This record gives sequence, C-alpha cells and structure tokens, in this order.
Amino acid sequence: MQAIIGILIAALLSQNFILVKFYGICPFMGVSKKIDTALGMGMAVTFVMALASAVCYGLNLALVALKLEYMQTVVFILAIASIVQVVEMFLKKSVPALYKALGVFLPLITTNCAVLGVVLVNVQNSYNFLLSTVNGAAGGLGFTLAIVLFASVRERVNKADCPECFKGFPIALISAGLLALAFMGFSGLSIF
Amino acid sequence: MNFKKQFREGLLTKNPVTVQLLGMCSTLAITTSLFNGIGMGLAVTIILTCSNILISALRKVIPSQIRIAAYITIIAGFVTIVDLLLQAFIPALSESLGVFIPLIVVNCIILGRAEAFASKNGVLASAVDGLTQGIGYTVALIIVCVIRELLGSGTFGGGLLNGGEGIRIIPAQYPAMQMVMPVGGFLVLGFVIAGSQWLMKYLEKKSKKKEAAK
Amino acid sequence: MKTESTVKYVARLALTLLLITAVVAVALAGVNAITQPRIETFNAQKLQSAIEEVLPGGGESVAFTDDTGLVSTVYKGENGYAVEVRPAGFGGTITMMVGVSGDGKVLGISVVSQAETAGLGAVCAATTSAGEAFRGQFAGTSGSLAVNKDGGEIDAITGATITSRAVTTGVNAALSCVANMG
Repeated sequence: MQAIIGILIAALLSQNFILVKFYGICPFMGVSKKIDTALGMGMAVTFVMALASAVCYGLNLALVALKLEYMQTVVFILAIASIVQVVEMFLKKSVPALYKALGVFLPLITTNCAVLGVVLVNVQNSYNFLLSTVNGAAGGLGFTLAIVLFASVRERVNKADCPECFKGFPIALISAGLLALAFMGFSGLSIF
Repeated sequence: MNFKKQFREGLLTKNPVTVQLLGMCSTLAITTSLFNGIGMGLAVTIILTCSNILISALRKVIPSQIRIAAYITIIAGFVTIVDLLLQAFIPALSESLGVFIPLIVVNCIILGRAEAFASKNGVLASAVDGLTQGIGYTVALIIVCVIRELLGSGTFGGGLLNGGEGIRIIPAQYPAMQMVMPVGGFLVLGFVIAGSQWLMKYLEKKSKKKEAAK
Repeated sequence: MKTESTVKYVARLALTLLLITAVVAVALAGVNAITQPRIETFNAQKLQSAIEEVLPGGGESVAFTDDTGLVSTVYKGENGYAVEVRPAGFGGTITMMVGVSGDGKVLGISVVSQAETAGLGAVCAATTSAGEAFRGQFAGTSGSLAVNKDGGEIDAITGATITSRAVTTGVNAALSCVANMG
C-alpha cells in the first residue's frame, strides 16, 4: 500500500511526468491551448497509459521467458499503436464529441513519449503487475495535471502583450519553465 | 533536389526542433552536456537517414492502411539496432542517455519525415532529407547543450573534453545549477526558438530590402 | 479488376505487417547475437572491477540476511565484504558496491550504474574530483550515516540531495547487512 501511495505522489508531483521527467512534451505543447481539450486529452492518455502498462507487463513476461528482451521496443510500440487504434474506434462510437475535439491528436497518443516511457520505466524498475498499472495510471494523472495547469496559464498568456520574436511557442516554453520551477518545490516529497 | 537549399532548410527555416517543434522530449531532457547532445544528435541522424532510405525503397509496396504501423516497426528496428550497438561499443553514452535511446522510436521527427517525405519521394532524396533534418536537429541540440552546460555547470565540453570534466569557464561556485534541471531546459529552448524566429524575420527583411532595391 | 473480399483484404494487410515485423525481428536477432557477448563481458568486467575497487583481493559470493530489501549480493573476501546494494535514486535505481571490513567499517564505495541527472546527481559516479571527494567521505565510517541536512556528517552533492541520501541509505544497508553476518 505504501508503495502505491509513493508511486502516486511521485508521478503526480515530485517526479511529474512532464515537468520533471520530460515525457510527453509534444502533445503538452500542442493540445494545451484550451482547458477542456486539455482535460479530455489528459483523460484519454491516462486510460491508454494504464492499459498499455498492464498489457506490456504481460508481453514482457513472455519476452523474458523466450529470451527476446531485445524485441522489447518493437513489441511495446506495436502494442501501444494497437491500443490507441482500439481506443480511437471506441471513442468514435461512444463519445463522438470528444473524438471530434481531439481530432488528429488522438492517433498521436501513439507517439507520446509518456506512454512508451512509462512502459519502459516499469520494466526497468521491475514493477509487478499492480505497481506497473498504478504507475501507468498515476503517470497519466500527472500528465493531465501538468497539461491542465499549463492550459490555464496559456489561455492568459496568449492574450498578453509580448515581443514579436517570442510570440507563440517561445513564451509558452518560458511559462512552462516557470511551472517546472514551481514543481521543483515538490522534490522532497519522496516517501517511497 | 537542391542539396544546399535542403541543408539551409534543415538548419534554419524548417529546423525540426526550432520551427517544426518536433522531438522536444529528448531536446529538453538530455541536453545537459555536450557529450549527450552530440551522441543523441548522431544517433537520431543515423536512424532517421536509415529509416528514410528503407521506407522510401518500400513505399510502393506497403499498403496505405497499415503504413503507420509498418513505419513504426521499421523505425523501432533501427532504434533497437543503434541501442544494442551503443550498449556494446559506447556504454558511457548508453548509460548517460538512458531510457531516451529507446524513446527515439516515438521521436516525432522520424515518423514525421517518414510520413511527409520518405513515403512520397525517391531513395536518394529521402536519404538527403534524413541527413539534413538530422544535422539541423543535432545543431539545435548542440546549441541548447552548450548554453545549458555553460550556465548550469560552468563547463564546456562535458563528457568529452578534459578527460570528461569539460573545460571550466565559470568558476565552480557561480553557475546556476537550475539550468541543468527541467527549468533550464524549458527556458533555454524558449530563448533559442525566439532567437531563431528573430533570425528568420531579420533575413526575410534583408532579402525584401534587396528585392526592393533592385 | 477483381474486387477482393474483406477477409482476404484484411488478411493481406495483416500478412504484410507480419512479414515486415518478421524481417525486423530476424535483423535484430542478428545484431543481438553480435553485441550480446560483448555487453555481457563488459558488465561482468564492470562488476568485477567494482568489487576489486572496494575490496582489494576480491571475494566469493555468500549467503546473507537483509531486512532493508536493498542488498542484492554479498561477496566475502579475506579483507572483509563487498556488498552490492540497490537504493532508489532520483532517476531510478542506483547500483553500488560497498566494501565493509570485518569490524564494520566502510572500506570504500563504487557506483556501478545510475540514472541520475548529468552534472548533478551523476557526480556520485563521476571520476571528477567532486565525485571522488563525495565517495571518499564514506571510507572509514561506520554505524548509521546521514547527510548534513538530516543531522549527519556526510556532505551531500550540491543540488543533488536525493541522490546523496540514496547513496547514504545504500551504505547503511550494507553496514547493517554485514553486522547481521556476525
């Protein structure tokens, strides 16, 4: 139990997947212009990350048993691509509004470093099934937290005045930097 | 296919990091020493060029519906090859870059170029495209690395020069170590992109003045 | 042109993908066969030199009891023990070798692998003067250690408190494991 809480706090705050470990930056920049899209994307990514962690844990057991560890990268990324495809089809049928809002960013979850990143980290740290899935879900929640916070900051920054060459992404990156600086305050929170 | 034009594009106007904003995860995470920057840049350039060549050669054979999955498999193959070779021959780099080597698979630059260029152009053009985009990426990485290392650790050439310590330029008690932490990554990249945007506008204005003066 | 039935179409797509994956798998198996022996030799060498560094004369692996869960192997030699510990650092697990003399004093430490931040936590493993100074602190110590911030005598690496704490935790685990050996 302590391990689970430790992982949750780490993934959300002290080792936030985006602001500390740098996974998932591309969608972080791309989807964070409005808060509701950001929230929807975050939820989708959390679900994919948890599911991918669970599935890849099983796949890794098979790979290790067959002494095929070098196929990890190929197998994991194909599994993630398939999971995203399934989630896409599911959303198209059940929640078409969200499907439309996410648009091209939904298939891009495949190339989200956070998903492959969390799977590789689970393998590196030799987490069992429960801890892997919790790490996946917690990482996704950390991703959602960072992206929603950033979206709210960005909505205001875009309305402000700023030098010509900083408009757009540079000022967004600098705001993200300040957000990362704030999250550094959590770094002493490791209880696990 | 104009090599000079593609080179200039890869370096400045279509630089994968500063203009297309791809491959940011690795740019922000590993740019804390020159060794990392050059190593990652070379690895990505090699993988990008190889996968561009193979995907371009197979572009007429791969059915359109499964092309993304096929590209990902090919890219993952090259990434694993480079990963294994690094572990065997340059273990220091492998340990320094850590999990970001397998993460090259999801580096948007490689999949992006495969989709945008290699799937539609010949093998030689794709190879050149891979090289120029890779070099542009490496140059952007090196610039961020040098700035971050100088301001954060006060050294230049960490991991490579001076037996791994790097040449000390700023005395040890002055550097702002936050620069080698995530904060520094975001801030330096933000300023570098702003700088590149300013440079492009300046060159555009200059060429417009030239046109007007003719 | 004859139109394909859906089943045949899907089968053709799946087969093409399978073929590509198979070719990639074969290529990887080849590269792996070439690199694997080299990687294994390198890792074995790294482990052996870490043991020699902290326990001159080396040692043989022995059984041990460990309450901390951090100790993975203990080697016993004529000058004492070399304990392999794996504390959790900032960026992942730090694998280190701690040499402990028969009377419970630290002979030295060596970091085998780590994933800490370059320039900060990674200094714990670096061959630079800062790295040597940090690791050298542990030699001759005994009992329960802590970093300055936690009221102990170990000077943490600047800007890398968590890494320094992890290394200290590892050394403590090694010391208590050797104490248990009696």
